[in-house]
Amino acid sequence: MLGLDADRLRADLNRLLAFLFHQGILDEQYLQLQQLQDESSPNFVSEVVNIYFHESEKLLRNLRSLLMDREFSDYDKMGIHLNQFIGSSSSIGAKRVRNVCVAFRAASDQSNRAGCLRALELLEHEYCILKNKLHELFQIEQQRLLAAGVRYPMLN
Amino acid sequence: MAHTLPSGDQASDQDKWDSGGLECNQQLLIEIVMRNRLIALVVDGDTTCWVLEQELLHSYGVQTLDVDNSRDAVDLIASNAEFNLIIIEKIIPVLNGLEVTRQIREIGVRCKMLEVTACSGESERQAFLATGVDVFIEKPLDPEHLVPILRELDRQ
Repeated sequence: MLGLDADRLRADLNRLLAFLFHQGILDEQYLQLQQLQDESSPNFVSEVVNIYFHESEKLLRNLRSLLMDREFSDYDKMGIHLNQFIGSSSSIGAKRVRNVCVAFRAASDQSNRAGCLRALELLEHEYCILKNKLHELFQIEQQRLLAAGVRYPMLN
Repeated sequence: MAHTLPSGDQASDQDKWDSGGLECNQQLLIEIVMRNRLIALVVDGDTTCWVLEQELLHSYGVQTLDVDNSRDAVDLIASNAEFNLIIIEKIIPVLNGLEVTRQIREIGVRCKMLEVTACSGESERQAFLATGVDVFIEKPLDPEHLVPILRELDRQ
């Protein structure tokens, strides 16, 4: 029955959100995003998160490209990328990604190339976890809305 | 969200604010903003952040104009565009936030300026406050910081 499926999916959604908060993957800023979503912008959360994914992957490519350059010494440029990553991660509530970026920036401020490389590996790992979990969240939400009889646009 | 034009005066607004709950206060704040037709300039090079900042401001009825670099911000202000509030990110393309803040104040702009940034130390905070920024906060821009500013703009 549609109603029961929607309820079950709602429970799954709440469980996943609770897990993400408990693990520190998301913080209360994510709830702020949800509060900004309404009838006039019904897909706001998924749209802004997709923008975040697109921008973050550019930043990760830039950071890796900088560090893979044997002649690399422009830690100021790295700091600019990291500042942007910290800001955008804070803005969507991506707490663990943000914290890794802060540690990465500390290594960059000290011109510590080995520390930066370690931080980049960890950042790519944390970003991957975040992206997978948020995709899972949006999929459950999509299924819940379908089960409740609401049309929902496909995500990119 | 449907907005209605206010009918009360500012003294009764205070009574309503003090006695109202969260949802009531948000509606009251929207009425205040709509009465004053507040407009904000958002200067942020990061798409995720300015989408969120813009949506947060819109949720309180503030109109926004967004630019992603300091050159466009200064040109806009130099062309006599007027704003009640300017929100600037510390690190933006062309000129940094500190320099663009200085230039905006030198043009003669006296409206409220709010600096938002990912991470900063106390010395940076003091440097920005010395150039004429009114409020300096770490991202994300949130209702806790925005609401007192909007209420102060109403009192002015």
